[in-house]
Amino acid sequence: MSETDANDGGVRRRTLLKAGGAAAAVGLTGVGINAVGEEAEAASDESGRETVHGNCWICRASCGQEVTVADGKAIDLTGVDGHPKASAGEGREGTLCSKGMGQLNKTYNPNRIREPHIREDGELRAASWDEAIEFAAQRLEEFAEEHGPEKFLRYQGYPLGKHPWHDLVFKNLYGAPIKVGRKTTCHGPFSDSWAWMSGYGREWPDWQNSEYIIAWGRNVMECFRGQWEPKGVLDAKERNDATVVCIDPRYTKTAEVADQWIPIKPRTDGALALAMANVIIEEGLYDEEFIGNYTHGFESYKEAVADKTPEWAAEITDVDADVIRDIAIGFAEAAPSSVAFPWTGIAYQSNGFKNAQNIQALNGLVGNIDSKGGTRQWTAGFGLDDPHEKQGIDVPANYEDQPTPDYDDYPFQRHVRDLSHNLVPKAVERGDIKGFVNNWSQPPKSGNTRAWFEALEEMDLVITVDAFWTGVSKRADVVFPGASQLEQPFLQTGGDGSYSTNGWVTGSKPAIEPVGNCRRDYQVYKALAEEMGWGEYFPWETGEEYYDSQLEAIGLSFDELDEKSYEIVADFEYRQYEDGGFDTENGLFNFDLDAKPEYKALADDIGVSTAPAWHPPDDDLFGETTNEEYPLLFTDLMVEQFSRGHCQALSQSLEAYAQRFGHEDEDYRGNYLHINPKDAKARGIEDGDWVKVQSADDEIELMANLWEGIRPGWVGTENGFGVGSAQPDEEGANSMLLNKERHVEPTTGMTARNHPVEIERLGGEPR
Amino acid sequence: MTEQWGFYFDAEKCIGCHACTVACRVRNDVEADGPKWRRIVHAENGTFPDYEQVSVSIACMHCEDPPCRTVCPTGAIEKRNEDGIVVVNQDKCIGCHYCAWSCPYGAPKFDDNNKMQKCHLCLGEGGGDGYGSPPKAKEEDGGTKPACVDNCVGGALKAGPMDELTKEVTDSAVNQATQRKGNIIIEAGGPTVTFESESD
Ligand code: SF4
Ligand code: SF4
Ligand code: SF4
Ligand code: SF4
Repeated sequence: MSETDANDGGVRRRTLLKAGGAAAAVGLTGVGINAVGEEAEAASDESGRETVHGNCWICRASCGQEVTVADGKAIDLTGVDGHPKASAGEGREGTLCSKGMGQLNKTYNPNRIREPHIREDGELRAASWDEAIEFAAQRLEEFAEEHGPEKFLRYQGYPLGKHPWHDLVFKNLYGAPIKVGRKTTCHGPFSDSWAWMSGYGREWPDWQNSEYIIAWGRNVMECFRGQWEPKGVLDAKERNDATVVCIDPRYTKTAEVADQWIPIKPRTDGALALAMANVIIEEGLYDEEFIGNYTHGFESYKEAVADKTPEWAAEITDVDADVIRDIAIGFAEAAPSSVAFPWTGIAYQSNGFKNAQNIQALNGLVGNIDSKGGTRQWTAGFGLDDPHEKQGIDVPANYEDQPTPDYDDYPFQRHVRDLSHNLVPKAVERGDIKGFVNNWSQPPKSGNTRAWFEALEEMDLVITVDAFWTGVSKRADVVFPGASQLEQPFLQTGGDGSYSTNGWVTGSKPAIEPVGNCRRDYQVYKALAEEMGWGEYFPWETGEEYYDSQLEAIGLSFDELDEKSYEIVADFEYRQYEDGGFDTENGLFNFDLDAKPEYKALADDIGVSTAPAWHPPDDDLFGETTNEEYPLLFTDLMVEQFSRGHCQALSQSLEAYAQRFGHEDEDYRGNYLHINPKDAKARGIEDGDWVKVQSADDEIELMANLWEGIRPGWVGTENGFGVGSAQPDEEGANSMLLNKERHVEPTTGMTARNHPVEIERLGGEPR
Repeated sequence: MTEQWGFYFDAEKCIGCHACTVACRVRNDVEADGPKWRRIVHAENGTFPDYEQVSVSIACMHCEDPPCRTVCPTGAIEKRNEDGIVVVNQDKCIGCHYCAWSCPYGAPKFDDNNKMQKCHLCLGEGGGDGYGSPPKAKEEDGGTKPACVDNCVGGALKAGPMDELTKEVTDSAVNQATQRKGNIIIEAGGPTVTFESESD
């Protein structure tokens, strides 16, 4: 082994790069390959081969794809050069991530549902489309008569390209008013705090132009949404000599590229943010001009941080006071080309809303709002046509007249527009919900798992569109086998992407025909609407025709767009707020949320400050903390190979994930419990051991991965595995079994994913 | 030799994402749990909190004087004159695994029939030996880019004739490359990259 100190100008230090060959071990255990089959023959046949476009939607980022199709079969993929999501911008190479490359694996997966199914005499059986559509329509009518459509819950994952047809049928026509808000399963605390502070749903950094990036509870190099994100960070480092700081209790690939990794004590992020503000104000490094002209509540913010010194925060966060000073000053000096960007690491916390607010406030403090290299308020800058309007079709809003239940005893439910995910079982128990329609989602993996399973059994009617047998589709009354991304047309517009000041549109025709008896979304909803007597709202033959009509607004046909893959459409400037202010109650950027009446009422109710403030995670309101019986804190995590839970059935992704943590030589393809060797040793646990994670409420079992890159006292696993998952053998553990109704963040109703646990060794072999 | 093809790898840009490994399998039609012609090693160092990791993407390096060829009893392994790519004639391979023992990068893998296969720098698709394929053509001459290079998210991997690759990189990386038997240039912002074999 050779070890060399490396120092390239003090920007970055890496001390060791050692790659073990392990030739013997790997070579001798080399397993079988199925390369010279039918598929390989098709691949070598050059004649029928063509390249078409697609848009990857595994993490719903719409990276433009180039798909090689031979004899009707997709055989290879890569990214579209210059694409706003798949590349770092004009003239730059397009790529797809390992999940995106797994797309063929999804499409041609042997476990894919290929026929419609209906439940008869308690059993699911395959049915023809006509039968299934007729059956679903009839059941929906009976349901409306018996319970009323208001008791039918809408639950959508992210339908391909966010098409409107699901809502058109179930919300506008059928009249089901309630859905589950995605914000309550993924990002509520930071997107709501951001929306209320800045009037913009979800910030996104202008990565490539940044000079100082704080990835805060966000693993941008592994859990990117679109190739442009990691590429943008690498560009920022290379071109702007940007500093990257990674705040995370585990060492991620973001920590790997970062100049500094700060393994903060979990759930104390808000204290760190306040102390940074304290330094920035003390040093006079804040943006007076921005604060004076465009903000509200600076005085109360200032007051809140007056005594929050780095020394105060060092106690709480276990981050050195000098480090806090350094990053505060670095961040402020680089403003307005700096950004502090929180994500699920913060959103998953029971005190996540206040922590997120404190972090977001930093961006306002230094004035890097909607700035070059700052946190951006992206916009498409143009609109598309409404095909119904153009045809003179008035779409009803039947959901509007429906009664909705109130949940006054759940404070967050008063201002969170939709039903909190964790409350659905309660709503079923109370008789408010009696059925639901699901599109490409697996709710029992997003929180309150056991209660959700019971609720599903309780429901009168469950309809799902999906590709795999999961905890939901197995329990459904009607299963529509949805077409995969490669089999569907796609259209999406956006701002956030590698073109910082342009809006764009990306679109593609289906690359291939659906396999088996699977059907494209438009065709599913059109058939159902026709059966229910709403055919007039679906006058277009295909989704492509609908998209074509939408695109007329920008003088582009869907054919042309498919040919090009993407088109840059509009220009927009940085600092859009200078012209018309922020889209908030008062038109200002709000440090203090007292201007938001719903939040003010809630805050008064539960006794928290509307201004940025420190709320420790260990009080009654903000959740449980570790104790003697449950001394470790458990959280669920994401990695590149599965930044969305529904990719787990993809063998390519599972394989890459096993390699990622060095367990590819084991048969096991479930998730790992990452645990520091110190904690493991105290419990007699060795790498690869089977372990039990026990909380006060429940338990799960999975394989241990001993890792120095995780903070002692803290353990975690990747989410989405185990019971209810799309993996046929449900291997691994569903971490949300530990989650119960009460585990929600009290402001946004978001599933809180931190649990005090104890870990016990079960032995060497998976059971 | 007319031209020597090789890889370029920039450890500063590698984000350890595994897109290259999956891309290789997709292009060459290798099953997910099949042999890994290209793999990522997440090399680690230190204990919490003084811990770091570096990601390295590894495949066959098409060595200048391939140890695998030296030990192969049947002469199944050939270093091609036209492009320096190391290929294996599977008809001659008897599955003795000597090549696997001798290779410093763990590159040789075996299929169901115990025939050696490994990275062939994307000389065609499938099968895994690349034996008998025409010389490697550059992209501008109508060749395709290797799948791993084509899909490297961080832009950390390149492939091409070594003399072209060396033009683009730092002197220190070139120096390191010339001291190594494998045809790979590694840019790592300073540190020495050492490949170690457990078998040597
Ligand atoms: S980032 Fe990866 S998974 Fe997400 S859309 Fe792009 S290629 Fe697909
Ligand atoms: S890397 Fe290994 S397999 Fe490739 S040429 Fe060198 S010794 Fe042979
Ligand atoms: S050059 Fe081709 S065969 Fe070799 S590792 Fe890259 S993708 Fe695989
Ligand atoms: S694709 Fe590129 S960045 Fe990703 S692991 Fe492979 S070499 Fe590294």
